[in-house]
Amino acid sequence: MDNGITFEKVSHIYQPNSPFSHLALNNASFKIEPGDFVAIIGHTGSGKSTLVQHINALLKPTTGQILIYNTKIQPETSNKNLKQLRHHVGMVFQFPENQLFEETVIKDIMFGPKNYGASDDEARTAAKEAMQMIGLESSLADKSPFDLSGGQRRRVAIAGVLAMKPEILVLDEPTAGLDPRGRTRLLDLITNLNQTQKVTIVLVTHQMEDVVDYAKKIIVMDNGRVIRFGNSQEIFGDPSWVKAHHLNLPRSAQFSLALKKNGVKFDRLALTIDQLADKVSNLVKH
Amino acid sequence: MNNFLFGRYLPGNSWIHKMSPQSKLLLTFFFVIIIFFANNPLTYGILICLILLSILMSGISLPYFLKGIQPLIWLIIFTVALQVLFASGGKVLWHWGIFSITDQSLINGGYIFIRFMLIIMISTILTLTTAPLAIADGVQTLLHPLKKIKVPVDTLALMLSIALRFVPTLMDEMTTVMNAQRSRGVDFGTGSLRQRLKSAVPLLVPLFSGAIDHAENLSVAMEARGFTDSEHRSKYRVYHWQNRDLLSAIIFLIIGILVVYFRS
Repeated sequence: MDNGITFEKVSHIYQPNSPFSHLALNNASFKIEPGDFVAIIGHTGSGKSTLVQHINALLKPTTGQILIYNTKIQPETSNKNLKQLRHHVGMVFQFPENQLFEETVIKDIMFGPKNYGASDDEARTAAKEAMQMIGLESSLADKSPFDLSGGQRRRVAIAGVLAMKPEILVLDEPTAGLDPRGRTRLLDLITNLNQTQKVTIVLVTHQMEDVVDYAKKIIVMDNGRVIRFGNSQEIFGDPSWVKAHHLNLPRSAQFSLALKKNGVKFDRLALTIDQLADKVSNLVKH
Repeated sequence: MNNFLFGRYLPGNSWIHKMSPQSKLLLTFFFVIIIFFANNPLTYGILICLILLSILMSGISLPYFLKGIQPLIWLIIFTVALQVLFASGGKVLWHWGIFSITDQSLINGGYIFIRFMLIIMISTILTLTTAPLAIADGVQTLLHPLKKIKVPVDTLALMLSIALRFVPTLMDEMTTVMNAQRSRGVDFGTGSLRQRLKSAVPLLVPLFSGAIDHAENLSVAMEARGFTDSEHRSKYRVYHWQNRDLLSAIIFLIIGILVVYFRS
C-alpha cells in the first residue's frame, strides 16, 4: 500500500442512541493520492474537523472504513497498534499552542519523536531541524514555551509535529490568528514540504485565497457530506454554486466576477492573484 | 462514558423543565430527607412511585434514564456489599473469617441499595431538567436570607455559575489536548501506574495553563464591562413561583406525610 488516504463510505455519529446523537460525517468517500495537497473547506459545523480526526484514528467511523498507511480503520479497530499509524500522520490541531507543556521549547519539540522511540540525540537533531524549518531562532531552545508570544508558541507546537517527520501532515486551520507574514511563511513551508519531501498535506481552512494559491485539490463539505472533490477551477469556476453553499469566492475571483459584469470577457474565471494580474495586463495591452 | 447521565443537562420542555429551579432544589432536598424516614417496603414503594412519576413528568424515556445511571451501579453494589458482609445482629446465614451475612444485614443491604438509587435518581432528574446556570440562580435565591448575616451570597453564586459555565469548555479542551498528545504518541490509560501518571503531565499542564488564561481573560472582560460586586445587580432571568411549583410541592408534601405515617 502507499501513503494515500482512502475513505470508503465513512459515517460518524457522535453519541449514538442518545438525545445528543449527531450525524457529523455522512457517507464520505474519496481518495487522496500520495504527495497530494488537499484543502478541506466548508462552513463551521460542516464536519471538517470530524473528518480529519479520522485520518489518524482519533475518531473511528461509525460505519465504513478508511485505508491509510498500511492500516485499515474500521468501527471495531482496537486502540492498540495505532501508534505506527500516528507516527506517520502528523496532526496540527486548531490553536496548537495550547498543547505545550514542557519546561523548555526544545524538550517540547522532542516529545513526539521520543514517544515514537527516537533516542535523545536523534530527537534533539530532529527538533533542531524542525525549529530551523519553521523559523524559530535557536536561542529560544532553552526558554520556557510559556514565556513566548502567541505566534512563537504556535510555531513551537507545529515544530513539535514536524520533528516526527510525518509522511502525511494534517493541519486544522493552522493560520487562524496569525499575522499575514506568519501565514504566508507557514503556508510556504508546508508547500515546500509537499514539493521536496513529497509529504501529503491535508489543510482545513476558511481562507479561500490560501485554497486557490496552495492546494492542488479541494474537498467541499456541507452538513457532514463531501459535496464536491476537485481542483480549484472545478470548484470556484461556478460562482453561483459556491454562493449556494455559503462559501466565499477568493478575492481575485470576486474581482474578476465584477469585471465580467462590466463586460470583460473571461474564458475561465481568474482565481489567483497571478491569474488576475495576467488578465488585467492583457487587457491593458489591447 | 458517552451515555453517562449523572450531572448532565438535557434541554426539554416538560413539566419539570418548566418548574423554577429553586423549587426543584428544595423538593430534591426534601425528597432526600424523606428517604431517611422510609424503613419498610410500603414506604419505599411510595417513594419509588414518586420517582417513576417524576421521570415520567421530565419527559425522559425510562430505559434511557436507567441506562444513563447504570455506570454508578458498581459503586452502589460495592457499598451495599460492605454493608451486607460486615453487619451484625439477626440470624447468621453465612460466616467466613471476619465476614458474616445475617438475615438482618441482607434486608438492610436491600434498603441501602434502594436509598442510593433513589438519591441518585432524584438528583439526576434535577440536573437533567435544570440548566447549570439555572441551578446557580436557584442556589442564589435559596441562600438569599444569608445576606442578612453578611454572607456574600451574590459573589458565591457568581463563582458557582462561572465554575459551571466552564465545565463544558474545559471538557472540550481536555479532549483536544488529549487528541493532540495522542497524535504525538502518548498512550493514555495503558502501561504501569508510573507510566500512566507520567502521561498525565502533558494533559494537566496545558489544561491548568488554559484554565488560568480563561480566568484572566474573563476577569478583564468583566471589568471592561464595568463589573463590580458592590452594587445591587438585577437579573437577566427571573423565576416566578408558578402553579406547577405549588402543585409539585403539594404532591411531595403528601408523599412525605404518607411516608412518616406508614413507617414502622
